[in-house]
Amino acid sequence: MQAVDGVDLDLFPGEIHALVGENGAGKSTLAAIAYGAVRPDAGTVEAIGTVGLVHQHFKLIERLRVWENVLLNREPRRGLAIDVEAARERVRRLGEEYGLRVDPDAVVETLPVGIKQRVELLRELDREPAVLLLDEPTASLAPGEIASFFGTIAGLAGRGTAILVVTHKLAEVIAYADRVTVMRAGAVVAHHRTSDTTAAEIAREMVGGEVPALAARAEVAPRALFEARGLSAQAGSSLIVDASFALGAGEIVGVAGIEGNGQSALADALAGVAPFTGTMTLAGTPLRSDEGPAARIARGIHVIPQDRRSEALVLDWNVRDNAVLGRQRQIPFARYGEAAREIIERFDVRPPDSDAIVGMLSGGNQQKIVVGRALAGAPVLVVAYQPTRGIDIGAAILVQSRLIEARNAGAGVLLISFELDEIFACADRVLVLAQGRIAGEFSRDGIDRGRIGSLMAGNA
Amino acid sequence: MNAALAAIAAVLALTLVKATPLIYAALGGVLSERSGVINIGLEGIMIAGAFTSVAVSGATGSPVAGALAGIAAGALLAAVLAFGATRLGVDQIVAGTGLNIAALAAAAFGIVLVYHQPGASREVPGFGRGGELTLIALAFATAVLLHIVLQRTPWGLHVRACGEDPSAAEAAGIDALRTRFIAVVTGGAIASLGGVYLSLAELDLYSDGMTAGRGFIALAAVIFGRWTPLGATGAALFFGFFSALQFALQRTGVPSELMQALPYAAAVVALAGFAGRVRAPAADGVPYVRH
Amino acid sequence: MTLRGFLRGRTFRDLAVVTVLVFGVGSVAMLLAHVSPIDGFGALFDGAFGTPEEFAETLVQTTNLLFPALGIAVAFRAGLFNIGAEGQLILGGFAAGWLGAAVPLPAFVALPMVLAAGALAGGIWGAIPGFLRARFAANEVIATLMLNVIAFLLATYLVNGPLALAGAGPSETPTLPHAAQLPDLLTGSRLTWAFVIALALALFLRWLLFRTIFGYELRAAGDAPEAAKRAGIDLGRTALVAMSISGAIAGLGGATIVSGELHRFNTGLSPGYGFIAIAVALVGSLDPLWIVAAAFAFGVLQSGGIAMQAEAGVPRDVVSLVTGLVIIALAGRRVVAARRTT
Repeated sequence: MQAVDGVDLDLFPGEIHALVGENGAGKSTLAAIAYGAVRPDAGTVEAIGTVGLVHQHFKLIERLRVWENVLLNREPRRGLAIDVEAARERVRRLGEEYGLRVDPDAVVETLPVGIKQRVELLRELDREPAVLLLDEPTASLAPGEIASFFGTIAGLAGRGTAILVVTHKLAEVIAYADRVTVMRAGAVVAHHRTSDTTAAEIAREMVGGEVPALAARAEVAPRALFEARGLSAQAGSSLIVDASFALGAGEIVGVAGIEGNGQSALADALAGVAPFTGTMTLAGTPLRSDEGPAARIARGIHVIPQDRRSEALVLDWNVRDNAVLGRQRQIPFARYGEAAREIIERFDVRPPDSDAIVGMLSGGNQQKIVVGRALAGAPVLVVAYQPTRGIDIGAAILVQSRLIEARNAGAGVLLISFELDEIFACADRVLVLAQGRIAGEFSRDGIDRGRIGSLMAGNA
Repeated sequence: MNAALAAIAAVLALTLVKATPLIYAALGGVLSERSGVINIGLEGIMIAGAFTSVAVSGATGSPVAGALAGIAAGALLAAVLAFGATRLGVDQIVAGTGLNIAALAAAAFGIVLVYHQPGASREVPGFGRGGELTLIALAFATAVLLHIVLQRTPWGLHVRACGEDPSAAEAAGIDALRTRFIAVVTGGAIASLGGVYLSLAELDLYSDGMTAGRGFIALAAVIFGRWTPLGATGAALFFGFFSALQFALQRTGVPSELMQALPYAAAVVALAGFAGRVRAPAADGVPYVRH
Repeated sequence: MTLRGFLRGRTFRDLAVVTVLVFGVGSVAMLLAHVSPIDGFGALFDGAFGTPEEFAETLVQTTNLLFPALGIAVAFRAGLFNIGAEGQLILGGFAAGWLGAAVPLPAFVALPMVLAAGALAGGIWGAIPGFLRARFAANEVIATLMLNVIAFLLATYLVNGPLALAGAGPSETPTLPHAAQLPDLLTGSRLTWAFVIALALALFLRWLLFRTIFGYELRAAGDAPEAAKRAGIDLGRTALVAMSISGAIAGLGGATIVSGELHRFNTGLSPGYGFIAIAVALVGSLDPLWIVAAAFAFGVLQSGGIAMQAEAGVPRDVVSLVTGLVIIALAGRRVVAARRTT
């Protein structure tokens, strides 16, 4: 299957053009081709002027300074050396001009995510691009910041830049873009002026039919299961401070927040990978900070990690061996095949072959294996960290449905996600995580999108 | 009292002598690793430098010609590793290990071919006192120069970028593979001077195994020196000091083998004390493959 | 692995590369030494296979390479570089040679104890870098390289100094009592039951690595350390155990050289087996059964190389040179998934 197949795309100066599609539809590949990073097998790319690309996962060098990143390979010189003062000055002026102020001397890894995005933008803007491509630019922004971000972008468009925003956030597309192109399975399937269409129509075009339905939520009265009190933990640069919350058996608690506000610390503390202070109690017995993942798994705490490729799967191994990873000691060696087949069936892993090499499977099928094994063996508490990241809608709905079914069956599910829609669809209660603290708690009936967005941005 | 001072002075002087080959090798290692390529083959490169410089000096009568030839040989060996690491994305440690074995064998083979006797070459014109002092001073000068290049020049910044995140460097238009290649080859040229010093400045000949693992101690010096030129030089001096100490204590009753083991043991202890707490360049040792 | 899969796979391609290197570079080197490749390779293969005694000697070299190669493979599978097999082998040999000669042991335990001593000494010497890696995230490559040198110096010091025994030459232990010697497989040759032990060990390791939970966890730690950690596998403990086993196997190899071939310990007992074994492990794709075949191939080169030098006048270093080039050529197989010591 082609990643991109026979696509025509025109961008005009002064316009914000949205490119939408499911994960795997080809949007990011198309953007890379437009930028020139990837050479197409057929067809042409023409641009009048430079093309800039702001990547979804920033291409910033963490241990270098802001000015070093912004001016990399275009450094002002004095003789054979770099003119550092000129470099600093240039970054300052650039920031003033576009309203994206940053300290030129700051080391990038110390910066919060939103500021890092400014650095990424500045790097491209310094080249005065005629065309600016933005890949999922609002993924790391608080709802409140999104409006001001698009304000900046509209300003750029006003100066004559042609803007392409690759995104899956349809509400933003309708609100801020002028035109939208919809991709599915590598091809363009629709094209609209955003004033002429709706988010629902675009969603149908993205999926090629009706979006499958989520599993039904059973009437369950949650029982006491898990409590965290004064939980503080650190995982790399992710920090959670003095968090107190409860999670019952038979309920899904969603943890809403922008990436980089302590989610990894929370997940890793529960997984046994990060030490913590404060208390965590499961079914009356406290968890110990020095226990390690094996003890947590033995207690029935199963974690779906954020990054399946590097944290959950052995890409060189086959499906069978991956399907038992995490329970390799609980299942007798001779029964590994059986356990794997159960997961393949229940989660519709394709191809349904225990000997297939996992690295060759699509992201959606890889994730099904990870989720499948986390839900196997009757876990007591499931920590699902971005369980539908980077997978197509069909697989995403399946994963979310299985989580709901686990909740119906009496497990407690902590759903940590950067996608508010996912949380609203699945959660019984919602916690908001901002700057490492729990900023608010909402029941399913009392969800207030505006208030949640405001809390996520760090406003009280 | 004067005897004690003289003894201390002698040890310090010997420290410089013992440290110089380590400094060259470590600087070569620093440059390579800052660009993202681990060069385990430093030992083999030193051997290449040592042998080639002796062979050419013997043939031409000029130690300077020998030194230049030694540098060329070291750069060539480094180029093999660099090619494998950048164009082919091979496992750098495995390749470096193979390089060491091959270089040692090639030199031994070379001795038999050129001198028709196994084990060691004949004596050749070497650097006298003046040349030896020049090479020592040059080592320190190279350290300072490398520091300036890495911190203050565009190329140095590009090298550091490639060592931290080659895909980000490429996003900025830098050819990460070519930058790494040049860094590794240049590093090899510098490291081979360590071998040249050993053969032409100290002994005026080449013998099997004369590098005795110095290339590996240099790797420890790179870590110990936190992947900086000045730090690695300091670490090399530290290890050189232990070598000098071993020499000075030879006359005492302490068994020679235990003394000889001192620098290597110091390296192991340094690893334990330092390794986990310092950070290598983020992409160090990770092959960069363009998609 | 099926035959078709083998022919299409990287293993076949790598073997082809190795063969080209051996014959190509070997021929060039021979020509440089003014020897025709036909004479050179002829002497090599004749020396390896010519007579039953010569073939037995080839098997001796195979055995000596097989032990450290199996040890290195176990470490590789756990994601660790054991470049210290040479040092582990030397100390294993020393422990065996010293124990057998210094301590009067009852006849029926002498041999097992001597071999066990070798394994224990090698295991401890492997545990050191394993511990440093587990506890301090220290780079085991450098640690094992350093420990190689220290091992040789330590053994030399001990055998000539505090642990010196009467009736021995310099840097040697005295001849082992008969009960501590491995019985011959072919009388009149140096081939002993060490060969059988090595083969049995290969079979055992294949089972251990691929048919047990222990092997599953060890390979997971090597192939995907972060995923393994989150699956409850203790990476530090795996590193320590894997390096200890690796060292023990190499040490056992040293012990068999002492007990079977030389009947005494000598600091020169290994012409670099621990390094050549790296090539053997790689050519064998880290699979114990293929490693047996690879060890045989390199055994041919080793024993043939001696004859080649004696009969055709080609320095043995050519064999080492080719070995080094083979290692470089096979570095393309991404052997160890994770390199960084975090």
